[in-house]
Amino acid sequence: MSFDKERFKSPYSFLFGNMNLRTKTLLIISLVGFVLLAIAINSFFINVDNITTNFAIKNSQPSLQHPFGTDWMGRDMFSRTIKGLGLSIVIGGLASILSAIIAVFLGLSSTLGRYFDHAVNSMTDLFLSIPHILLIILVSISLGGGISGIVVGISLTHWIPLTRVLRAEIKQINTSTYVKLSKNFGRTKLWIAKNHLLPLLIPQIVVGTILVFPHAIMHEASVTFLGFGLSPHEPAIGIILAESMKYLSNGSWWLAFFPGLSLLIIVLLFDLIGDNLQKLLDPTQANE
Amino acid sequence: MKKMTIFGIVLVVAIVSIMAFAIIFPESHNKSDDSLVVSIWAYGGEPSSLNPLDGWNLEQEPLIQSTLFKRNHDMDLVNDLAEGYSVGNDGKTYIVNIKNGVKFHDGSNLTSEDVAFTYNKAISSKKVTPDLSSLNETTAINNTTVQFVLNQPDSTFLSKLTILGIVPKESYNNETYATHPIGSGPFKFVQWDKGQQIILEKNDDYYGKKPNFKKLTIVYLQGEAALASASKGEVDIAEIPAELANRTINNMRIQHYSSVDPRGIALPTVPNNSKKSNGVAIGNNVTANLAIRKALNYGINREEIIKGVFYGYGTKTYDGVSTLLPWSNPDTSIKDGDINKSIEILNENGWKDTDGDGVVEKDGLKAEFDLVYLASDSQRQAMAVTVSEQAKKFGIKINPQGKSWNEMSNFKYSNGVILGYGSRDPGELKLDYYSKLAGESNIVSYSNPTVDKHIDSAIGAKNEKDSYSEWKSVLWDGSTGISPQGDSPWVWIACKDYVYAVRNNLDISSGTATVPVHGGDLFGNIYDWMRI
Repeated sequence: MSFDKERFKSPYSFLFGNMNLRTKTLLIISLVGFVLLAIAINSFFINVDNITTNFAIKNSQPSLQHPFGTDWMGRDMFSRTIKGLGLSIVIGGLASILSAIIAVFLGLSSTLGRYFDHAVNSMTDLFLSIPHILLIILVSISLGGGISGIVVGISLTHWIPLTRVLRAEIKQINTSTYVKLSKNFGRTKLWIAKNHLLPLLIPQIVVGTILVFPHAIMHEASVTFLGFGLSPHEPAIGIILAESMKYLSNGSWWLAFFPGLSLLIIVLLFDLIGDNLQKLLDPTQANE
Repeated sequence: MKKMTIFGIVLVVAIVSIMAFAIIFPESHNKSDDSLVVSIWAYGGEPSSLNPLDGWNLEQEPLIQSTLFKRNHDMDLVNDLAEGYSVGNDGKTYIVNIKNGVKFHDGSNLTSEDVAFTYNKAISSKKVTPDLSSLNETTAINNTTVQFVLNQPDSTFLSKLTILGIVPKESYNNETYATHPIGSGPFKFVQWDKGQQIILEKNDDYYGKKPNFKKLTIVYLQGEAALASASKGEVDIAEIPAELANRTINNMRIQHYSSVDPRGIALPTVPNNSKKSNGVAIGNNVTANLAIRKALNYGINREEIIKGVFYGYGTKTYDGVSTLLPWSNPDTSIKDGDINKSIEILNENGWKDTDGDGVVEKDGLKAEFDLVYLASDSQRQAMAVTVSEQAKKFGIKINPQGKSWNEMSNFKYSNGVILGYGSRDPGELKLDYYSKLAGESNIVSYSNPTVDKHIDSAIGAKNEKDSYSEWKSVLWDGSTGISPQGDSPWVWIACKDYVYAVRNNLDISSGTATVPVHGGDLFGNIYDWMRI
């Protein structure tokens, strides 16, 4: 415990002073959540049609008017980046929720019997053995591309870690005496799942879902970077980064730097939320 | 003794200066003057085959093979393998005499049999793009005379004889020819490292003017890679995209050629109510309205697109026929960028913005359609985005969609598509606008009996020169045509320039350069290139 205390104290102590861990965690979560939500909502109100081209100012450096500079068609990179990040967050959100649903469904169905357990187990092994990016590309192409293709592709590949965690957890809970007692009282499996398993699994599910976010966003960026899913004129972070490569030798560093940095920050922020939620929901670390 | 010392000093000085020279100018050390490295991208990059029957350099100089005729700098027909020709009175038989004693690279003689073989093979294999639909049969009359029999008079037929490189009948092998071609052209094939380079060597037995270079290496580098290679001194000529033309490259200059290769937007002229036999949809309900197509043609600002998207390397076109072509029609030019006129055209025809969303509508149909462009071509992407922004100003909503070539074949008959194809053969106009080819090469399904009639009489004209006035009437005959004033089935925007970075010590003789077609025709005058 003392080790954990040190670890959690150091990074934020200068910011939060003597607050207790619970307050600090809540504060961090709400702040970070606010930032992410602000980006998502802001990007929702940016109309792509309004990020117009202006060839007179193409490839111009960052300035007060265009804090992230402009691209090869003179479009404002700040609006494009925010729009791209918003898209990433939405895709990430949809994909992690979908994969969480898949994971819960598979996790719970593994309790239904030995064969179900085997089936779930071999399916996780199967999906683990295929490279993510390959599967995402295949799925998104077979669904005709577009945002829906990417969302389905990412959801179909990101349920694995959560499923494994849930399955292990369920196995553990199932050996506990109160579950055995319920069974002896003649409760159905569904009843046990609803009343004994699910409440105990909720922290895992929530944290698991949040932690899928960064992965999903990264994969969305990689898939669009490789040119799958969206048209090259649409503002997705991957497309922006792929395009910036062509202009790096030109000296247009801002085309890659700001969008790349923003992507990194978003991913780190989600990680921060995930870590702090875990602290909050894990009873062993709840209070100090 | 003194002599020896002086000799020694001279020797040392010579060695040192040679070494210094080698260090300062490393490229002149490892590259001899009679070899040439050229990076071209054309469109699509490295070819999949060097066989004319598979489509290798059909309208461009095939280098390895030779054609019967060529087009020179002034678009005149000149002999290549041919010595002369005559046309029968009915306009259906063409007799071509070919040069005697021409040899293939393997030493065998090129005779009329080989010519007949090549053309008959092209018709039966159906893989080649030149439109040989009017050709019935090719026969060798004697060693140096070939007879072409057509199924109808075709004034564009001589153009078709400039396209196909002749392959040897004796040694032709369908499987191996693509990678080991034998021809009679100015260069012999040496080796092809797929994905890297094609190496050719001067043909010393060439019957025409021999090139000044012993070895020609062609690499296929694109964009930045081509530029980087040029800056390092690895290539003598690099084709570069217009957007990179403003960079300065050591020891190189920029040379650009106006081409007959237009870029435009195909707009389906029929409503969406039919399908091709393979299930691909034909027609678009919005672009089927003449008012929409006209409003676009008058409202789009071509000047702005050329300045922004083409970086100035392009020329306006309103009908897709470059002014470099003898059948271009000056009457088709209009005042474009005229937003008020576009709004007027739309209003007159009942297209009004009643719900205030900035997009006009008529009978509940919104003036909105998808514009498909080739995703890998940033120039077409910028065109799509710019056009959609311009169209928004007069109330037409265009949604750009980037697709691959494969995907495009499912969309091109039922959406706006950015396309371009430039040919030195006026027969191209028939492929694009003839009503019987609707849903095929006439992707906009355009049909106009008057235009059909003009096309028929142009094809049936006595000779090429006589056909030009009819081709002009296809574009605009004073009352109808395919131009913006007429049915405007396309929004033609600009003919692009082909831009090359050329080493300063190389003269590629722009005075004799041939008119660039789709993909350019850089090698068209390679006979005149030299080091200076």
